[in-house]
Amino acid sequence: MSQVKSGEIKTMSQSKLDRRQFLKGLGLGGAGVALAGCDLPSYVTLEQGEENVISYLAPDEYVIPGVGVWYASTCLGCAGGCSIHGRVREGRVLKLEGNPDSSVNMGRLCQMGQATLQSHFNPDRIANPLVRKNGSLVEASWDDALSLINEKANSGKAAWATGAISGHQRVVVETHLSAIGGSNHYAIEQINANVWQTACGDIIGDPNPEIHLDKAKVIFSLGADFLATFISPVHFAAHYGEFRSVPRGTLIQAEPAMSLTGGNADHWVGIKPGTETSLALGVANALMNKHGISGSGISNATKSLINEHDPATAASICDVPADRIEKIAASLAANSPSIVLAGGTATANANGYSAAAAALMLNQILGNIGVTITSGRELAYPQLGLIEGNSANLKDLAVDANKGKIDVLFVSGTNPLFLAPKSIKMDEGWNKIGFKVVLSSMLDETASAADVVLPLASSLEDWGSHIPAYSTGTRNLALQQPLMEPVFSNTRGFGDVVLGLAKQAGAPGLDEYDDYYGYLRSAISVLKKTDSEKEWNSFLMAGQTPVPSLGRKLSYIDGKISQTANTATDGGLTLIASARMGMWDGRGANLPWLQESPDQISKVVWDSWAELHPKTAKSLGIKDGDYVTIKSSNGEITTRAFIYKGIHPGAIAVPIGRGHSALGRYAKNNGVNPLFILDGGVDAKTGEIATAATRVEVKNAGKNKPLAKLMEIDRQHGRKLVATISADKQRITEGGT
Amino acid sequence: MSSLFGNILKGWTDYTKGIEEGGHHKYEHMWGMVIDLDKCTGCNACSVACYAENNIATVGEEKYKARQSMQWLRVERYFDEPDIDPGAIDDENAMQERGASFLPMMCQQCNAATCEPVCPVAATYHTPDGLNAQIYNRCIGSRYCANNCPYRLRVFNFYSYTDEDGAWPEPMKQQLNPDITVREKGVMEKCTFCIQRIRAAKDKAKMENRKVKDDEVKTACQQTCPTQAIMFGDLLNSESKVTQAWERQQVKLGKYKQDRENPKLRGYRVFEELNTDPSVLYLERVREE
Amino acid sequence: MSEAALKHLSETQTKDIDENIAWAKINQDVLRSMENPRRGYWIAMAISVALFSVMIYAEVYQYMYGMGAALLNTSHMWDLYISTFVFWIGMSHSGTLLSAILHLVHADWRKPIYRFAEAMTTFSLMTAGIFPVIHLGRVWNFYWVMPYMTDRGIWPNFRSPLIWDAFAITTYLTSSVLFLYIGMIPDLAICRDNTKGWRKKLYTWLSLGWHGDDRQWRNFRITYLMIACFLIPLAVSVHSIVSMDFAMAIMPGWHVTTFPPYFVAGALYSGCAAIITLFILLRYFFKFEEYMTFPILDKVCKLTFVIAMVWTYLNLVEFASVWYGHDIPSKEVLLAKAFGPYAPFFWGMIAFGMFLPFTLLSKWARRNMKFLFVVSVLLNVGMWLERWMIVTPTLSLGYHPWGWNIMWPGWVEWAMVGGSFGWFGMLFLIFVKVFPCVSMYEVKEMVFHRKRTIYEDVDEMMVLHKGAPTAAEAGSTNNGGS
Repeated sequence: MSQVKSGEIKTMSQSKLDRRQFLKGLGLGGAGVALAGCDLPSYVTLEQGEENVISYLAPDEYVIPGVGVWYASTCLGCAGGCSIHGRVREGRVLKLEGNPDSSVNMGRLCQMGQATLQSHFNPDRIANPLVRKNGSLVEASWDDALSLINEKANSGKAAWATGAISGHQRVVVETHLSAIGGSNHYAIEQINANVWQTACGDIIGDPNPEIHLDKAKVIFSLGADFLATFISPVHFAAHYGEFRSVPRGTLIQAEPAMSLTGGNADHWVGIKPGTETSLALGVANALMNKHGISGSGISNATKSLINEHDPATAASICDVPADRIEKIAASLAANSPSIVLAGGTATANANGYSAAAAALMLNQILGNIGVTITSGRELAYPQLGLIEGNSANLKDLAVDANKGKIDVLFVSGTNPLFLAPKSIKMDEGWNKIGFKVVLSSMLDETASAADVVLPLASSLEDWGSHIPAYSTGTRNLALQQPLMEPVFSNTRGFGDVVLGLAKQAGAPGLDEYDDYYGYLRSAISVLKKTDSEKEWNSFLMAGQTPVPSLGRKLSYIDGKISQTANTATDGGLTLIASARMGMWDGRGANLPWLQESPDQISKVVWDSWAELHPKTAKSLGIKDGDYVTIKSSNGEITTRAFIYKGIHPGAIAVPIGRGHSALGRYAKNNGVNPLFILDGGVDAKTGEIATAATRVEVKNAGKNKPLAKLMEIDRQHGRKLVATISADKQRITEGGT
Repeated sequence: MSSLFGNILKGWTDYTKGIEEGGHHKYEHMWGMVIDLDKCTGCNACSVACYAENNIATVGEEKYKARQSMQWLRVERYFDEPDIDPGAIDDENAMQERGASFLPMMCQQCNAATCEPVCPVAATYHTPDGLNAQIYNRCIGSRYCANNCPYRLRVFNFYSYTDEDGAWPEPMKQQLNPDITVREKGVMEKCTFCIQRIRAAKDKAKMENRKVKDDEVKTACQQTCPTQAIMFGDLLNSESKVTQAWERQQVKLGKYKQDRENPKLRGYRVFEELNTDPSVLYLERVREE
Repeated sequence: MSEAALKHLSETQTKDIDENIAWAKINQDVLRSMENPRRGYWIAMAISVALFSVMIYAEVYQYMYGMGAALLNTSHMWDLYISTFVFWIGMSHSGTLLSAILHLVHADWRKPIYRFAEAMTTFSLMTAGIFPVIHLGRVWNFYWVMPYMTDRGIWPNFRSPLIWDAFAITTYLTSSVLFLYIGMIPDLAICRDNTKGWRKKLYTWLSLGWHGDDRQWRNFRITYLMIACFLIPLAVSVHSIVSMDFAMAIMPGWHVTTFPPYFVAGALYSGCAAIITLFILLRYFFKFEEYMTFPILDKVCKLTFVIAMVWTYLNLVEFASVWYGHDIPSKEVLLAKAFGPYAPFFWGMIAFGMFLPFTLLSKWARRNMKFLFVVSVLLNVGMWLERWMIVTPTLSLGYHPWGWNIMWPGWVEWAMVGGSFGWFGMLFLIFVKVFPCVSMYEVKEMVFHRKRTIYEDVDEMMVLHKGAPTAAEAGSTNNGGS
């Protein structure tokens, strides 16, 4: 851990800069630098010099009673990497807000970002290292835990499993991995845009192009829940705000179950799960045949596929009325530029890649590429770049473990035992791994099954650097700094632990660094070609610093689009394990704020639910609040029904994130995990686990207990609560085209 | 004793003055809000930010279901659109053809607040800032105010949440905002328009001998809103964005029926017809037909 | 009294009171009722104390746990506590009606029954007063509603109907206690002269040296009359003010202009019904057949019927004004009352409150104790339901549909409601054993006056009724004893 050298305090006292002025310099309104990495001594012994004696009555440097100081850092709620300001008062961080200077989130924050505080102050955090003895985890000292790791780490093929990881944490993890002779790094994120990004990389030559929602007049989204779960939700939501300003754009969302984005659509198209490709082809057909759009750059194979999908044919495949398909086409044709996105449920089936390719094909037809979809920038230091993580890696981890390819596994920032469908046999694979080390601040399912658990500092107590998943313009390295001293004193920062492990494993060139702070600082000094204290402080105050990046170029090479896969006729329903902003992939489940924050669409709190269409529910004899058993070939889950019309009658949607058997008092035994019963199908191209393709049988479990919801009603009962005005009228009064 | 009676009488004079003049007329500020429902995505960031800022207790599933939740800001969701397509919701076999409608509702800070006159101990009153204030340590919990709130936006501490098994087990207590109190059982509470932030800005302005600037106060919900659907400011400051927005929508305070030149403007206040004179202006949601 | 005797009596008793009843017997009968509680008394007392104990337990539980213990929620901030409060305030109107109003209109048949009715007033108020206090979230600060002296110059909010309530109830309670007590002084003197031990001390102290001289009687009459005059507007205003808890609110179903008279009528109605109940009970237990006679009961029943019709009319006026008005939320509340989940209780109220009183038109019914007992209890059930149907359906359906919610009371609320009956019963049972529940001196007066209508000549009467004192001396020391 870093020690603030007594010399630093001396500098301050000698410079005649008094405490008050100094803190004034940090500023109430602006961002400050946190002085203390950790362990700032609250007193200095007499031997160190008379002038350094600090009265017991004087509070710590960063504490002025009653005055809050804002410090910049980075939110690690998801891979979005929003820049944050944390309000610190009396040494405690109280509130997080977005950093207005950030190009990622422009000062805004989502509910998960707000709730990060509760993962920091969580009562269920791990306080001490845990080591498995006689089958159960018992507390141990760091020395014991680390020496045990040292003993076992080189005992075979090693691997790392992380969540999305970037910046210098990625570097130290990879350094450690190579020091212990491993090569496999599984970056696991259940909620990702891997299929879309892969398609973008293949087809337009840039996996992470800039998406200008604000410039679009129409957004046609195939399942991409860009307001909640798509790449960088806060960023897209901010741009959505622009999109809704005058002149107001139209949002068309096609998906089998209503997402938050769908909940905001002008036209919501409920579509048979897995048929999004056909819808896109139908729209393309209408665009070409009815609106005379040529479709340059489209291959003949694709063109013939389009010709097969006249709106009527597409309608019969997708279960969407043909006139709606034509209406979508008309809207896209009339309003240019537009943007077509694919993600979420559209890409979460065996044919997901096709949906993404079809969306890009539509963009090409509509001439959006280069207009609303422009080239992004690539980090000049690829070793720092973000590994987004995906669920294909999750399956790979399970397969490799089962094959005995892993003997020693280090895990941090992901919870594979919770995320993995039973069908991929993660549990069995896990047991085949000889030695499992989990670095975590919470005792989640994976940590509970580890051999050694190393307690991590929370994201608000730790140092780090991050590359946000998405940003426009110059690329920034987002800096994460501790906002307060550790709540649990025996926890250590992720970087510190991994750096220590790497040093212990004999990785070269790390000995000069006492701790991860020292490493990070020197690495950034090299990166920024400056070593001055002032510059460093200014980076920390800004919370981010630009790093060199290279522009990319967009091209268009037609992707392989194949026909819709879902032709199921087994009489069952398609299970959609839906991703929600809030619980996310389950990491939010132990935060009471998020548990009690109603789901945006169903308004359910504190439990899982199964969305069913009234028609389906009626035919199955299910009423709102009935327990339903959802049975797939890989098991069953029982949860309560939420019946509404925002879902295709052929689908049943259960949100991801609840159903923990560990993680803490709020998460445990709360809800069900639909991921467990997925049948293990994957997207044919990327290997992403198909979360919206499992066929299930649904039965009434014979019990009813109304769900805890924010509201029982769905309609306004004649009150003027949410008044609606047609866009035509709005255009007259407020302008726009 | 003389000071005792003197003070009583002084209080009495102030009190009657307040009654006769119908409350304050010399407002220092009139904090108001504009919420653009077309921009609101219903993402709930505002609600969670409000929990974080205002020491709001989480209650757990059972109490939530019993409708004893404590949220000051709730984002309501409706599936019908009576203005565009009134019948759509009734067809059980159809699917939703449009998205939902979201409505963030926090205390509307009514200027003719129905909650104020009924409080037996004057624990809720109108501040010279145009806020509908709740004095927690004066409240005796008669709950009359909440009964009389047509918006149902007052929440009551039906339980104590400060125990170890309450809303803030150690170390979660450390997150509590020291700028405002943690309310005990038996006390009514509600959205304050982040009065602690208003106070801080006013104090700062006073120290610097100037007026509070527009945008100097940001409520927690406004600050975090990803689409910036919420606008907040002083309606007495003609420069402020909020005032301009109210003027643009031709909505005036103190009226229960707006005679606007352009009836197609989007601004409206919820239950304006009850003459509660709310300070929150909503802009109608727009939908492509 | 056997069935046959009772039936015989119901057919033959035609006079309000037998004018030939000996004054000594009056004293004897009434004083006897204050002695030697029998088994039935102790059982009733045990039930009352048990109910009250459950209430105390519930209150302690609620105090420790918070108001959530009563299952109240964001929509239903009030529930049974307030409706039961209104119910008990209503009950309190009986005594005032009988003693003050009928006193002023010289309806002397009230005399044998007004005392317990007045006691009922006082105890109902003491019961009612519990509810606004226990329903407070911070019950320990209940006194803040009073404008007590504080150096901080803090006043309660005089615009709040709850403050009006606090003032109205305390004033009414004080006045009714005074009225009850003052009216009892001559009787207390009789008690004083006929008891020993602690009772003697108590009555000596309470009878304030009454010895029945002319000056005392004159002052007594004036005082009594004045308090009676003072009490009548107070009684009307108290329930009007209680109604304003609702009428002053903005909520649909509460914001009704006819509420004040409607509440007063309802109060008199439930009070009359309660008088019938207690009349029958006291008559049965204390064998007061000679004082609480069928003709008097008959008159009370007729009075109840008239008031019931006033109440019914006002009820229909309320429904009609909502139905023909165009306040949609109010109409929704009305429809929800009639057809929503609370409908059984609404129709129960209509059946018991509007239709059941028509049975009182039958002479047979008015002379049938058992039937009347059941009817009077049901009338009060109806009136209790009325209060519940005022408070709860409105809260379950306000302006904002978000708040629409059905709530059923839990054990804590029921315990409090039940306990209030226990508390009332306990007070009443103590009262009947400590104080004369039939006014001796006034019954004597009544007998005297009745006699005078028969015997023109006072002297002749005096001769006939040997040893009886003059009316002026009826309650005096010398002649009051048995």
